Amino acid sequence: MRAYAEGLVLAAISIFAIWGAWQVPAASLGDTWAGIVPFSASVALLFLSGLMLAGAARQTASGASHAQDNGATLQIIGLFIIAVIYQQSFRWFGYLLPTALVAPLVLYFFGVRSRIGLAVSVILCPLVFHLIFFVLLGVYPPYGEVFDLLSWIQG
Amino acid sequence: MEIFPALLSVITDPTLLFAIVLAAVVGMIVGATPGLTASAAIAMLLPITFYMSPLFALAFLYVIGKSGRYGGSIAAILFNTPGTAASAATQIDGYPLARAGKAGKAMRVATISSIIGDLMGDILLVIGVGFIAAIALKLGPPETFAIYFAAFVVIGSVIGNSIIKGLASALMGILIAMVGLDPISSEERYTFGSFELSNGIGLVPLMIGVFVLGEVFAQLETRRKITGETEENASTADGSTLTWEEYKPCLPHALRGGFIGAGIGVLPGLGSAIAAFISYGEGKRRAKNPEMWGKGALEGVAAPEAANNAVSGPSMAPLLTLGIPGSTIGAILLGVFLIHGIQVGPTLFLTDKELVYKLFACGMLGILAYGLIGYFGATQVARLILKIPTNVLYPLIFLTSFVAAYSARGSMFDVTVMTVAGFAGWLMRKYDFNVAAFVISFVLAKGAEETFRQSLLMSEGGALVFVERPIALAFLLVGLAAMGFRIRGIIKERRIAQGELGDA
Repeated sequence: MRAYAEGLVLAAISIFAIWGAWQVPAASLGDTWAGIVPFSASVALLFLSGLMLAGAARQTASGASHAQDNGATLQIIGLFIIAVIYQQSFRWFGYLLPTALVAPLVLYFFGVRSRIGLAVSVILCPLVFHLIFFVLLGVYPPYGEVFDLLSWIQG
Repeated sequence: MEIFPALLSVITDPTLLFAIVLAAVVGMIVGATPGLTASAAIAMLLPITFYMSPLFALAFLYVIGKSGRYGGSIAAILFNTPGTAASAATQIDGYPLARAGKAGKAMRVATISSIIGDLMGDILLVIGVGFIAAIALKLGPPETFAIYFAAFVVIGSVIGNSIIKGLASALMGILIAMVGLDPISSEERYTFGSFELSNGIGLVPLMIGVFVLGEVFAQLETRRKITGETEENASTADGSTLTWEEYKPCLPHALRGGFIGAGIGVLPGLGSAIAAFISYGEGKRRAKNPEMWGKGALEGVAAPEAANNAVSGPSMAPLLTLGIPGSTIGAILLGVFLIHGIQVGPTLFLTDKELVYKLFACGMLGILAYGLIGYFGATQVARLILKIPTNVLYPLIFLTSFVAAYSARGSMFDVTVMTVAGFAGWLMRKYDFNVAAFVISFVLAKGAEETFRQSLLMSEGGALVFVERPIALAFLLVGLAAMGFRIRGIIKERRIAQGELGDA
């Protein structure tokens, strides 16, 4: 079942890539088509997905099965959702506020249960990262369109 | 001869020496920490190199890579947990030695053999790289494309368990690299009207995502499976010293391992793990005491360790002379060159020869640095690693990956790319796709496309240009032969496995 799913996902990606390559306009006279490499690569990928599906058919016949660790997968999907919200919230609230909120959350995810430790991370993580990257290295911090804690602190 | 003035120049520069020693320590710690890799550390530090001079940045990351390879042996011998894939070969004899109270002895053999192997690799690199660059200058677009093709096929088919998944990973890397404007005609590809996508996918956020965030996701999964605590294997008083009489039988294995590692290192994609296991197998075959191998033979530590580290230098040869990174660390170093506007390829030896040789000199001094620290302080490093709370370390790495991805170009789009790449990297690992092939192909794709289309223009559209030119044809055949050998190897392995099942 897993091998089938892998083959099907790969086939879907390759069909999407073929369609994307097909959107590239034709080459002007004396030039090569800009879509030639993406098109060739996606056709090759489709061929490989076909091989995977053929292999999956043989595997199913032999009755192979795989145990899944659903608990871990759910936890990782949860962490990925946090990651997506975290990176998006840079645009809305700048760097400091999202980091202050996400730091204890991720620590909790990895098993830190000390309340003092989690509370310290709220202050320490944004502070240390801000000092290293935005003060020492001189990177311009992302500005929060809705509310920016750094601007508020700086008055 | 260029290496001697370069060595003198580096030795007299205290800032560079500091960078080398710091990188040796960082690499050793990272390599010895199970779950952390030198690739992840280098990818995470990549944005910081924007703010450094090219030589400082390259030397720092290059030495982390070297020291990281060695650091894997610390975890393999002392904790029975290989820090890197290559150090799994060291673990076979290293751990039994540690259990017998000879952890210190095994560590010293590993350190000396690593130094021998790594220095051999670097010396061969210094001798050979100029010749390869001179030949590379004479190659035309069809020959260069054929080399790219061979690299794609070798990287895709040789690493990992599945050829199909390896090649699919390489093709996905190529497709992701195609996003953005076509460099020749400026036509949009896979942009779907997005301005941000028209700039293409950045190398730095992709690498941080795949190697750093992807690793954090993977660690979250691993943590659920691991039970119990890691403990260090202590040495007895007698087990921590190493005499010349004890090392003497190891020396031929270390020298042979050095040659095996250097030979494999030149070939793109094969890497340290393959070198270490081939060297171990060859060492055991030629050993006077093969029955002791696997039960705690010092030679069994020397052979894989020398090969593992000998890969490091020669793996830079295809990167510097052809712009083809032979390893993930090479791919990241290519990013550093690009960040600083240095064109990698045969012309590098005309434009930035001094920089290249200074980098080699830094590498050699890095070997001495990690060698000295390792010989006298490997057990202290092991104790330090045991004190690192991983439940705090990985959340910090998680947070660092976001700010590092942002710092590269101050782009929020890069942070989004990094997040998606992180999840994709974890999915690829989980379903046994080849992350290294994906990243290396992503890096190679633009150059391969350029030479492919130049070749087609040269021949006015005919693909026969790749077959009519003998060097190009030879490299195409090398790629196909590598795949053929790999398929044959897999079939052989399956037959043996089926035979064993039949016997059971």
